[in-house]
Amino acid sequence: MAQSLAKEFTKGLWAEIPPFRLVLGLCPTLAVTKSVENGIGMGLATTFVLVFSNLLISLLRNVIPTKVRIACYIVIIATFVTIVELVMQAFTYPLFLKLGIFIPLIVVNCIVLGRAEAFASKNNPVLAVADGLGIGIGFTLSLASLGAVREILGAGTITIWGGNPVFDITTWYQPFTYMVEAPGAFAALGLMLAGMNLISKK
Amino acid sequence: MREMLSMIVVLTLLASVSGGLLAAVKSGTELRIEEQILKFQKAPAIESLFSNVTNDPLKERFNLETEDASIQIFPGKMADGSMAVAFETLGKGGYGGDIGLMVAISLDKDSLVGARVTTHAETPGLGSRAKDDLQFVSQFNDKTMDTNLALKADNGTIDAMSGATVTSRAVTRAAIQAQTLYKNLKPEIIKQIQ
Amino acid sequence: MEYFELAIGSIFINNILLAQFLGMCPFVGTSKKMETAVGMSMAVVFVMVMAGMITWSVDMFLLKALNVEYLRTLSFILVIASLVQFVEMFLKKSIPGLYAGLGIFLPLITTNCAVMGACLLNISNEFVFTKALMSSFSYAVGFGLALVLFAGVRERVNLGRVPKPLQDTSIGLITAGIIALTFTSFRGMV
Repeated sequence: MAQSLAKEFTKGLWAEIPPFRLVLGLCPTLAVTKSVENGIGMGLATTFVLVFSNLLISLLRNVIPTKVRIACYIVIIATFVTIVELVMQAFTYPLFLKLGIFIPLIVVNCIVLGRAEAFASKNNPVLAVADGLGIGIGFTLSLASLGAVREILGAGTITIWGGNPVFDITTWYQPFTYMVEAPGAFAALGLMLAGMNLISKK
Repeated sequence: MREMLSMIVVLTLLASVSGGLLAAVKSGTELRIEEQILKFQKAPAIESLFSNVTNDPLKERFNLETEDASIQIFPGKMADGSMAVAFETLGKGGYGGDIGLMVAISLDKDSLVGARVTTHAETPGLGSRAKDDLQFVSQFNDKTMDTNLALKADNGTIDAMSGATVTSRAVTRAAIQAQTLYKNLKPEIIKQIQ
Repeated sequence: MEYFELAIGSIFINNILLAQFLGMCPFVGTSKKMETAVGMSMAVVFVMVMAGMITWSVDMFLLKALNVEYLRTLSFILVIASLVQFVEMFLKKSIPGLYAGLGIFLPLITTNCAVMGACLLNISNEFVFTKALMSSFSYAVGFGLALVLFAGVRERVNLGRVPKPLQDTSIGLITAGIIALTFTSFRGMV
């Protein structure tokens, strides 16, 4: 039991890390990763929704009729998304403004529905939570690292939670605005994916 | 038949539990959200517009009721002793939704002190310049209440930002709305301030 | 004139795929073959316009009337999900070839954030009905345009000898980056 628990948790961190291995949830990945801070915020919001929707769906897996299961999953997911939306508005308002429309759009993030259908509906609650937590943290790490690449190349700095940049190379590096604009998002993700393929081949 | 019934029961139950839960969370966070909006959206714009006032516009704010909404008014005492008020209006029809504009108007001169964009979700680098680059909004400085604040393309007096006509138009809509609102509310405002 | 600007803006400048990043999963998933890309685009045009009209009405006559706007996410996604179910049934019966081609991605149109996103944008813009309709349609056309263009380029790229680690999705994303870059040059238009 403990072994499989660890397995379900860690698979999200490398073997099935979204959006690299599991090519799902690309919209927020590309859109909000202009900075590390945005990436982490989006990742944590998605993790919250993943964990709680996985838990609830797994608990109700014998109650939900098969034919309307997708509708039920969507209701559950949408509820948690709205909670995240309201809570973020109340406590981390500047971040909420930056993530904008992508918070309500967690509801259509294929990762969340995908985990509900592929995992939570077939496994017990403990495993489902481990799965949600693992995938969520993996997603957060991916977004943060993509955000870091884009922010460093595109702005030359890293700023977390306001204040002064914690990392600054603008003294000798000419920032490359392309990376923080829309087209750079595609290129950065494509290259990072290639890098991952290269590492795991060995 | 039994299957149908269970489908309907489960879905209805889920939906009502979810609705109830959301209503609870909503009422629990409502006040706090309002505070946050004030702190992060309105305060920076007000500070930038009222950089040399001698009072605290945020603390002295009051609400005025109009036909369909309640508006927060922020009074500012200018350095030369004259009074001005700031309030926010929404310009419809930006690319990414409404554009919030904080407008400051001098009560003595009946002219605009200035305007700042508070919220927007416009395309970065294009429409977002309305907020980041003060050149566009500085066109509103010192305009009187009778000036037509539409874009030059719409027979007004304001130059659109190049490449961002839709955003610029939404901002001018907010400014025009502010003019009308001010004309209607001026007597009330003066009463409140005294 | 305003409608024309709205259409050009939504198709080219604020392209839903390349500038707003909505609907990336089908963008990457259905662009390997021209045929599936065209089918997906048609399905999206249909669903997005229908969803735009229905969600607008739901918002106006139900949510706003009852003052329960915080239920917007929930109700919109339900409307879209049932609509997609309907399109799926329709395709399965009348065009089985296309249905087989779209495979897994047709149910996934439910989780296509482009559809949901366009509906939410209509509401946050407070468009009147005809404008919402126009904007949904233009976003859908922009979606189709970008997807078909991308599929065409991708088919070609896959014929070439791509270095192993870059193959498939990786080179696809880089290609998309270049297409997005060309789309940024439309910016001066409106």
